[in-house]
Amino acid sequence: MMRTPVAPFSYLSTLWVQVTGTWCNLQCLHCINASGPKNPWLKRLDAETVKRAIREAAGFGVKEIYFTGGEPFLHDDILELLAFALRVAPTTVLTNGTGIHATVANALASLARQTPYSLEIRVSVDDIDPERNDRIRGKGAWAKAVKAIQLLHARGLLPILTATEILQESAPEEGGLYQRFRDFLLSLGIDKPRVKIMPIFHIGRMAGEEGPLLTEEMLQGFDFSLLQCSETRVVADGGIYSCPILVGLKDARLSEERLEDSFTPCRLYHSACATCYQTGMTCKNS
Amino acid sequence: MQAVKEYQRIAVFGGVYNNALALETTLEDARQRGVEAIFCLGDMGGFGPHPDRVFPLLKAARVLAIQGNYDESLALGKGDCGCGYTDPRDNFFARVSYEYTSQRMSADNKAWLGKLPKQRRIRLGRMQVLMCHGSPRTINEFLWESSTPNDLVQKFLRDCGTDVILCTHTGIKWHRRLAEGRHLVNVGVIGRPANDGRPNVWYTILTAGNDLQVEFVPVQYDHERLALEMEQEGLPAEFVETIRTGWWTTCMEILPAKERARGKY
Repeated sequence: MMRTPVAPFSYLSTLWVQVTGTWCNLQCLHCINASGPKNPWLKRLDAETVKRAIREAAGFGVKEIYFTGGEPFLHDDILELLAFALRVAPTTVLTNGTGIHATVANALASLARQTPYSLEIRVSVDDIDPERNDRIRGKGAWAKAVKAIQLLHARGLLPILTATEILQESAPEEGGLYQRFRDFLLSLGIDKPRVKIMPIFHIGRMAGEEGPLLTEEMLQGFDFSLLQCSETRVVADGGIYSCPILVGLKDARLSEERLEDSFTPCRLYHSACATCYQTGMTCKNS
Repeated sequence: MQAVKEYQRIAVFGGVYNNALALETTLEDARQRGVEAIFCLGDMGGFGPHPDRVFPLLKAARVLAIQGNYDESLALGKGDCGCGYTDPRDNFFARVSYEYTSQRMSADNKAWLGKLPKQRRIRLGRMQVLMCHGSPRTINEFLWESSTPNDLVQKFLRDCGTDVILCTHTGIKWHRRLAEGRHLVNVGVIGRPANDGRPNVWYTILTAGNDLQVEFVPVQYDHERLALEMEQEGLPAEFVETIRTGWWTTCMEILPAKERARGKY
């Protein structure tokens, strides 16, 4: 019988905070954790839980903190929590951009000025064409995300446009999806275009037939430091999980409360683990 | 345990990136400033022209070097530089640069790189100093000023049992001084400018005292001559622009927001 491989834990480099659980104002067709506006299956975290996890992570020399959801900007305390995180480490927030109007952008710029660490903002857009994007992300999503990118850039915040490969087949131009988005940002006057492309994971709203799984034999001699689960942990509803893709799934939960208790090897049991392994991807900015 | 050598005043530089012209000027500058020894924190190859030209200079000056990821990759015959880039644009230019260096560097020089230690420990006065390439834990870890938390610096110092950590790899110098006279210094690189609009490069002089004195020294070298050599060698115009203007044009998608904001592109 093929055995499920296990990724060793090396040290905590990255803490993810699923601050709004799976609560989101959008309901994207390809969402990896099936987030949406109604009955989120993973609940938001209260501010004290988030701060406790960040304090604990600081004690272990965490290098980066990421806020995700759902949609982090739905959380009442998001600005306070970003400020708290930025006192500890460089901080990234992933957003669909719909909640980033001028006032929020001003507040983020102010946060960025007050910290020596970098504040990174990832804004999700899946196509340069609004209609094609909105078929995946919902009507009006594209316009708000692009507006958010422009507001942030105008304030020197250098957002990172994050796209998935969901519409890959529609990008036959030379350089593919990455170049397409870069050129699009440049055409908007974004003179420092930053783009991150993510593969599609068959999980959440894209869960279907189980894809190929990893085996111990496949990972003989593999450098596990290439997998983010060797140095990443996620605090979310229910405890601490091995990675942002598998957050909320019981087999990916490594601790019910304490971060330190999650510093154990994790099983690479899901087909998403195979996607991670095959593509060499990371959920981090780089 | 091997005895650790003590110094009072040293020069330290980071990535050379085939820049023999800057290296020659740096070595002469350091000699004139009365240092007892000169250290290099790795990455002799990449970016610039004529990879074999740096080695006679390093050997004649008895530079005490450690191995960077570039050196490790070349010595082991790996297919890429091992810089740790994840962006397609960064990787595209990194590949161009690595193929150029790998094809032209002699086997002897690659073997020399293979013998370099990964880290060095010395004392500067009473302070213990650890020299590494990227970080104490990983050869190609990027420690930018805006992406290196104080708590992480404390952890490195504690775990390594040292007072001072010296590193390079990112290409931009910075200095963090923590309480009780403990320091992390990214010494910068002499292979390409610091993305500040000036063509000079930077190295670091460290002097023992009641507290460590850290001085970043600018090096004006014949960058126009280097640019012409690079053009003659058919290296990308983007690389040459960086040498002439001091602004990064490639391998910069890796930059965190604050460092990226300070550059031109």
